[in-house]
Amino acid sequence: MEKPERLIDENGRRVDGRRFDELRPIKMEIGVLDKSDGSAYVEFGGTKVIAAVFGPREAHPRHLALPDRAILNCRYHMTSFSVEERKPLGMTRREVELSKVIREALETVTFLEEFPRASIDVYIEVIQADGGTRTTGLTAASLALADAGIPMADLIAAVAVGKVNGQLVLDLCDIEDKYGEADMPVAMAPRFNSIVLLQLNGRMTPDEFRRGLALAQKGISEIYKLQREALKKKFSSIPPTET
Amino acid sequence: MPIYFSEHEVVLPGQLLSDNGKRSGEGTYSIGGKVYAAQIGFASIKNNKVVVIPFKSAYKPSPGDRVIGIISDVKPNGFEVDLGGYLTGMIRIPDREEVVNMNLKVGDVVYVKIRESGLGGIIIDKRDRIRKIQSGLLIHIHPAKINRLIGRRGSMINMIKKLTGCEILVGKNGLIVINGPTPKHEFAAMKAIEMVENEAHTSGLTERVEKYLKELLEKG
Amino acid sequence: MAFVPRKSLTAKIMRDKIYNLLLQGRRIDGRGPRDLRSISIQTNLLAKADGSALVSMGSTKILTGIKVEVGSPFPDRPDEGIFTVNAELLPLASTTFEPGPPDERGVELARVVDRSLREGGVIDLKKLCLVEGEKVYVIFIDIYVLDYDGNYFDPSLISALAALATARIPKYEIVDGKPQKTGEFFTLELNSLPFTVTVGIIGEKFLVDPQIEEEKVLDVSMIMGTDEKGNITCIQKNSPGQIPLSLMDEILETVLEKTGEIRRKFLQEVPVKLAEQST
Repeated sequence: MEKPERLIDENGRRVDGRRFDELRPIKMEIGVLDKSDGSAYVEFGGTKVIAAVFGPREAHPRHLALPDRAILNCRYHMTSFSVEERKPLGMTRREVELSKVIREALETVTFLEEFPRASIDVYIEVIQADGGTRTTGLTAASLALADAGIPMADLIAAVAVGKVNGQLVLDLCDIEDKYGEADMPVAMAPRFNSIVLLQLNGRMTPDEFRRGLALAQKGISEIYKLQREALKKKFSSIPPTET
Repeated sequence: MPIYFSEHEVVLPGQLLSDNGKRSGEGTYSIGGKVYAAQIGFASIKNNKVVVIPFKSAYKPSPGDRVIGIISDVKPNGFEVDLGGYLTGMIRIPDREEVVNMNLKVGDVVYVKIRESGLGGIIIDKRDRIRKIQSGLLIHIHPAKINRLIGRRGSMINMIKKLTGCEILVGKNGLIVINGPTPKHEFAAMKAIEMVENEAHTSGLTERVEKYLKELLEKG
Repeated sequence: MAFVPRKSLTAKIMRDKIYNLLLQGRRIDGRGPRDLRSISIQTNLLAKADGSALVSMGSTKILTGIKVEVGSPFPDRPDEGIFTVNAELLPLASTTFEPGPPDERGVELARVVDRSLREGGVIDLKKLCLVEGEKVYVIFIDIYVLDYDGNYFDPSLISALAALATARIPKYEIVDGKPQKTGEFFTLELNSLPFTVTVGIIGEKFLVDPQIEEEKVLDVSMIMGTDEKGNITCIQKNSPGQIPLSLMDEILETVLEKTGEIRRKFLQEVPVKLAEQST
């Protein structure tokens, strides 16, 4: 992929025509897999992710079980064909790191004490990557946990903000992530106005950081709304045979 | 107490339900003096507390529950019973000879009653006759749907039993054993139960299941 | 690399029930012993894959993606392109799949699909040569099991073939000794369409395309594949247990019939370019 001459044009339009504070088209489907306890499929533009949850179930291996609460395991993984250059099978260091920060976000809102000695396993599979895979994955994982009936304090909505051509932008796509100056994934439990995932790759001034957070918050509240709509739609009272 | 939900509204985790933090029941949690939903389901007031009846929820054993399990281990002092999810119950038989005489093997399906569930694990009643299931079709549905399957005063399950002529043992843990006069009847019972599981949160379900069953049984 | 399953206890009464039903020509999901579950095939769903296919067989779902690169040929086959098959049983798919490198089941799946494609001569590797002895096309076929309700073998092969048939392979040319994309694409011509059928045996009866509850109680399971000419292109006994020799003829006959059924469905759903059949 070649670096475009400008990431933002004279009219403030980004490479895909969006304004700085516009999200990409988002799609959310709940309960897409049969065998897991809960699942969700989420698209943010060209990024496509499936998340599935198994649990509570017996902790495996047993000696890792905790006496007073469940363990939450999380695996963020990308298929080999999700990216431009084929990714060999197996976990890369990046996937290991992202699994950790996503797990920590999910742990924060999950009532693990309800299931001592059990494990709740969250699996995120990126089938197409176009920027913001961890935030899309976390958004999907939260929906999958809700679908599975795991008690939670709140849903988690996440989005990446970045800096391209000196401008702060919402919901980075791949080109912007590659050729921009900063990439900051943010996840929140919107009910509590608190941040559960936060990272920075790149450089920002304190002022940019503050404005970036505000921009993320705006995107997150839109995403949260879409999550709630998707969940309500799945469990609406209209019998399936009559729709 | 001021409440923020209506009767047939689907509530979601993190949704504000009421301002009285002291009255938080099952499926909810309270923080900062307010009650929020912890799971997806219908909210209602029970015993003066706000509760959420979740659409999906892990089974929580209660003393007196009748459940179906599979023997997962035979020990000198009793049997381990797999109750699904991550739950294993114990049938304590202090007499080694009695364990042998009971002739329960790994893989046998049993219908049992929970005596207690807590720090000591899940203990299964042995005084109440442990019923070994000799045959049948074993299926499982989400434990949260069992109440809907049984119906008010047994209305749903009795209708299914009557129409299909099947004996249907329902475990609170979501496991079900069907024994019927013919495979066609057993299949119809299974499909009816599947329908209840998929549409548990909708209204007018009993009539629709009855209609569906009659159609199925009429066919071949 | 022994596989230690998560507790997946089998109820004895289910073995009896499934066997008794089979004796009456019935199965727990209402199918007959020779009925396959419904198959759905979607292709070209992923922008960054050169080819892709999502196949469902009942509730079992397989996603296969194809990536094409340019690399060096094998020294003993200097004028042939290369293809390699990998498979992952994603922990997403089943309570019995653990995260980690492919265990023996994942490796077996990849190798069985590989053999079906290779022995079936599906791809003409000589057409994938750029510069003899130096540069050839390398096709990576990566199979992911997304949802496991029994029988991941048959739909995996279907998805590999569907992805290959509809792949848009970027065309390369050598410029200054280096391979470069021309911006054009070509599709692969397939020489053959070998499909497999998984057969499950209980007692002296057998069924095809077992779903997960049936798989748990089978005495033995095997996979057999044939091509459109009726040649057997794949055989794999993939479980412990004994296959009664007396069943073999009937199994072969059934497999021939069922692979034909899959082939007809495939041709309906997938635009495939078949090479001229020379006798």
